[in-house]
Amino acid sequence: MDTFLLIGITGIGLGALYFLVAAGLSLIYGLMGVLNFAHGSFLTVGAFVGLWFSSQVMHVSNTWTFIGAMVLGGLAAGLFALLVERIVISRLYERHIDQALVTVGIALVVGAVLAGWFGSDLRLLPTPSWFINTVSIGSAHIPVDRFLYIGVALILLLANTILLRFSRIGLVIRAGVENRQMVAALGINVRLAFSTVFFIGGFAAGVGGVLVSAYSNGVSPLIAGSYLIYGFIVVVIGGMGSVPGSFLAAMIIGIIKQYANYYSPGLGDFVVVFLLAGVLLLRPQGLLGKVKA
Amino acid sequence: MLRWKYSRPLLAIFIPMLFAAPLLGNNPLSHPGLQQTMAVAFLYGALALTYDLLFGFTGLLSFGHALFFASGMYLAVLFINHDVLVWWLAVIAAVAITTILAILIGSASLRTGGITFAMVTLAFAEAGHVVISRNFGGLTNGENGIALNADKVPSIFIGVFNTKNLFWISLGTLVIVYFITWWVTESSAGRVFAALRDNETRIAVLGLKPARFKLLSFVIAASMASFIGVVMLMVSGSAAPRFASSDVTIALLLMVILGGAITRWGAVIGGIIYSVASTRLQDISQSSALHSVPKIISGPLSEPTFILGLLFIFVVMFAPGGLSGAYYRLRIKVISKK
Repeated sequence: MDTFLLIGITGIGLGALYFLVAAGLSLIYGLMGVLNFAHGSFLTVGAFVGLWFSSQVMHVSNTWTFIGAMVLGGLAAGLFALLVERIVISRLYERHIDQALVTVGIALVVGAVLAGWFGSDLRLLPTPSWFINTVSIGSAHIPVDRFLYIGVALILLLANTILLRFSRIGLVIRAGVENRQMVAALGINVRLAFSTVFFIGGFAAGVGGVLVSAYSNGVSPLIAGSYLIYGFIVVVIGGMGSVPGSFLAAMIIGIIKQYANYYSPGLGDFVVVFLLAGVLLLRPQGLLGKVKA
Repeated sequence: MLRWKYSRPLLAIFIPMLFAAPLLGNNPLSHPGLQQTMAVAFLYGALALTYDLLFGFTGLLSFGHALFFASGMYLAVLFINHDVLVWWLAVIAAVAITTILAILIGSASLRTGGITFAMVTLAFAEAGHVVISRNFGGLTNGENGIALNADKVPSIFIGVFNTKNLFWISLGTLVIVYFITWWVTESSAGRVFAALRDNETRIAVLGLKPARFKLLSFVIAASMASFIGVVMLMVSGSAAPRFASSDVTIALLLMVILGGAITRWGAVIGGIIYSVASTRLQDISQSSALHSVPKIISGPLSEPTFILGLLFIFVVMFAPGGLSGAYYRLRIKVISKK
């Protein structure tokens, strides 16, 4: 029972990390039709800025340092995403395949620059001392960092929902996901919504980068790899453009993957792809996705 | 319907010359080192061409092409090393099984289109990569890969002295793949592929089934890729998980875009140049000239993907059509000046 609970909560924690990557991917795709292969590099940029802040600036690894690393990592990744959108992607307006291709190029270049500067070795990210503590639920001892991932993901989901539901720019974004031409035809500046979505997506990915490096005990230019691919899977299963759908799908995938991996290492990835194939065959628009008219 | 244009006689002289090069006295291609490099380059040229059939000619942006390449490679090495089949039967079986795999994966992922298709094929390929690199089922030997058992293949493929045989086989593979792709793209099915890329709705309105033609293109490209994978197994002497990674598909994408999609020769040249360049760029990065430059510049320059990635972004944004596109623009300029 305790192992069951431990794996389940670890799975939710992992799902939270997937959600942080997938949220931005889903919004960017839903609004602009851009398959963003550079999203992994947003995550890596966030992770490196977080590392720089907590090891070069603060020198002490307490809770505030870690929060600062998350916020700074998120901001840096958000600004980087904004730059990518403004300088590169906006020039390829409506050329979806080219946009996807150019983000592949960006991912390659960013990966090469980071590998050239810092090497491919894993660098230890200082974490607060309470990270190794465990919480006892019944007889299960759950590492406390899992709850942090879940908490951050929930906060971002909440913030996202509030922004999308109750602000003007959120309204524009939601309307744009539904029908961008109509929004533009009404004389509303959709470009601003594009930039916002890239910033939000980059921010979430950057925060995710710091958490991913805490989860995998270090930062390297290669950490984003599997998270980006899982981000894509989450977006497809959850439904393109639906943030709650991504949350739901991320949780399901995280949990299933952990249980399957416990049963037999490596089985998790396999089961997830079967799940993806199943969803595509039975419900091609994803769990909470809408069929585009 | 094969058409013979004025550039083709040139090719008819050049290809036999390449074939004969290892035998003709002292030239660069008579050394096993370059023969090996070129054998790998020819295979990547051929692989890029199969990807061009999918991406350039049919308009399917697949991120899973490496899966079929690696599947051919791994199935062949497993059949040969475990004495399941004689080597030549193993080759046929590997290609046949990969073709079935491609039909299954193709029919599932072609339910989606466009960008979603790219994501889904990526997911399938990544699952394949994980199965191979995690040693799932204890067959693939994980990250170390499997070395081809040299006793079980004919001795003409083994050893430095026989590198020229591998060179010929790779060049032969490239020529065969080129002719098959030529034949496919110029056939009536090939016209439908191109029409699907340009206007899928119109094909559906004409009463043809888009899904079937897409699957056909997907499967043809995949089975050719698996055959190239088997030849790569012979050339490199082992099957390794890196051949299954999505980096291979991204490299193929770069080759096709840099060389020029939609043209056959562009993809081949792109593949050959990319393959040679990524080996050469690594040599440059270790050269002493870079030591005097501060690390902030020399670091990224020592990564081959930095230059290739920048070039790729440049071509996508400012020079669509890549190398072959530039060539055709130049030719039009020359012709219109007359």
